[in-house]
Amino acid sequence: MYPDDSKTKDPVIRVENLVTHYGDTPILKDVSFSVERGEIFVIIGGSGCGKTTLLKHMTGLLSPTSGKIVHNGTDITLLDEEELTRVQRNIGIAFQSGGLFNSMTLGDNVALPLREYGKVGEDLIPSLVRFKLNLVGLGAAEHLMPDELSGGMRKRAGLARAIALDPPVIYFDEPSAGLDPIIASGLDDLILNLRRLLGITFIIVTHELDSIRKISDRILMLDQGSAIFLGTLAEAESSAVPRVRQFFERRADEYIAQRGMVSGGHEDEEGAE
Amino acid sequence: MTPIRIPVPEELTQETGRALHRSAREHALQQGGVLLVDLSNTRTMDARGGAWLLAIAEWAKARGGELTWEGASGQVAEFMELVEPGLKAALRKKPRHVGLLENLGDATIRAAAEVREFLNLLVDAIYWTILAPFSGRGFRWGLLLDEMHEMGVRAVRINFMMNFLLGLTIAMLSAAQLRTFGLGIYVADLVMIGFARELAAVMTAVVVAARTGAAIAAELATMKVQEEIDALRGMGLNVPQFLVAPKLLALTLVMPCLVSLGMLSGIAGGMIWGVFVLDIRPEAWLNETLGAAKLKDIFQGLFKGFFFATVIVLIGCHNGLRVEGGSRGVGLMTTRAVVQDIFLIIVVDMLFALFFYYVVD
Repeated sequence: MYPDDSKTKDPVIRVENLVTHYGDTPILKDVSFSVERGEIFVIIGGSGCGKTTLLKHMTGLLSPTSGKIVHNGTDITLLDEEELTRVQRNIGIAFQSGGLFNSMTLGDNVALPLREYGKVGEDLIPSLVRFKLNLVGLGAAEHLMPDELSGGMRKRAGLARAIALDPPVIYFDEPSAGLDPIIASGLDDLILNLRRLLGITFIIVTHELDSIRKISDRILMLDQGSAIFLGTLAEAESSAVPRVRQFFERRADEYIAQRGMVSGGHEDEEGAE
Repeated sequence: MTPIRIPVPEELTQETGRALHRSAREHALQQGGVLLVDLSNTRTMDARGGAWLLAIAEWAKARGGELTWEGASGQVAEFMELVEPGLKAALRKKPRHVGLLENLGDATIRAAAEVREFLNLLVDAIYWTILAPFSGRGFRWGLLLDEMHEMGVRAVRINFMMNFLLGLTIAMLSAAQLRTFGLGIYVADLVMIGFARELAAVMTAVVVAARTGAAIAAELATMKVQEEIDALRGMGLNVPQFLVAPKLLALTLVMPCLVSLGMLSGIAGGMIWGVFVLDIRPEAWLNETLGAAKLKDIFQGLFKGFFFATVIVLIGCHNGLRVEGGSRGVGLMTTRAVVQDIFLIIVVDMLFALFFYYVVD
């Protein structure tokens, strides 16, 4: 599929010593990891731990206090606006609630990036749009408006738009949040299929345990802005780190109040979007 | 009927797909004919190649035929499995073209439904505005004060400026005419009567429509989009009672004050021109103005202001509650509210002019 990509052994993304602040409050404290080509890399952690912030830094939507974010050998923290845009065209972002443009039909939403910089002939665009919608199982919804879609359909549509330009990397924020188990599981299958067929590397933020068990190759766990675990699912489930154990055993926190104070009162950070 | 066989090259990409599409279309596919795509040589395909395959399938379906395939293996087979529903699905029709008459009928039905909705809101709003404050239950007095502050006090500066400048302009325009006959002093009468009967009320209403009318529509539309309205209904609370009545009462109380302020500001603007440019003594100007002031005219302005206030609040709420879709809907409805506000202000103003011309004067 992507012969030039699959032959190289370098990680797709390398994050080195990432530190970020919100005002004076540290959000991410010295986070380092790398994502290998073709893997499904899952970022987990409790609400307000900095997952979404990390994702926004990796996609270049925010810039860090210090540290490096290297995409295919390019440190995106050093790029100017124009160069950054070029890197961003090679990544797809699927947002929590789809991020679809309300004023366009589903088909036009998917066609937008293709028309803007797809290097695709206008004669292929309608078929390509239908093809992408078929890939995510929304072939019949082309002429619908986003507000006519259910939550699960909206996430699928967001994914269809994210894969419009055939990016090698896709970021997916909370694919299964707010979906029923059947739909959520279908979305997990879809992610696995797209990885296998199109060789896409997925970086997924989630805290749905079922979904993590089904799709993750490797897991990064954040807690109060620090990376406390990095490894495979099996390693995570046998981990001795108390916070990781607690997450996978689904045990409630007895110290919410104290933890809230320690993390500087930014518990709402994720919900604020 | 023997199927028409199309061999697919080793790699199905954007370029090879385009060539395949072109060659497939050269075949004379008949009604019920089958286009057999031979994938046995194909090792890889990508999304764009797949899209061309879809285009061929749609072409075949448009001619009454169908597309099948054979020989897919490995990655290609998996790919085909994923897109099979799309290749097999019936050709989807574009949304049907709607004729003129159907459009007209549709528009009429929609307009009738909208008018009915508006009348419902009107009745509810008036009922709750008159009844709720006195029945003592569920009227939010705190909100009423907040609204009066937002709609009234915070509009004082802009309302003063607009009416003052309009007064200045009217004085300038009329002075140029009247001065040639040596009647410069009558500019005072003209400004007084003009602002009392007409200008202050209309100018103030335009200011309020642009500020408050837009704010009401945007607020209610956003509440609707974010399911706050549903939340209110779900708690068994009445939307006209909780959202519309406080706004309606607030603006109808505040509007006469703003119109009075508008009259004073307009007259002040005219007086500045009269005293400093037309060189008329301030006492003479004031005397002339007071001589021209009739209670009947002033009441006419205030009375119109009251109706304008009702129009602005109800049109704002009506459009806000009708929102559909997300962010774009909010913008559309806010625009619609302001446009309707200003149009209806002029219409109501004209009706009053007719009424006063034929009935009162």
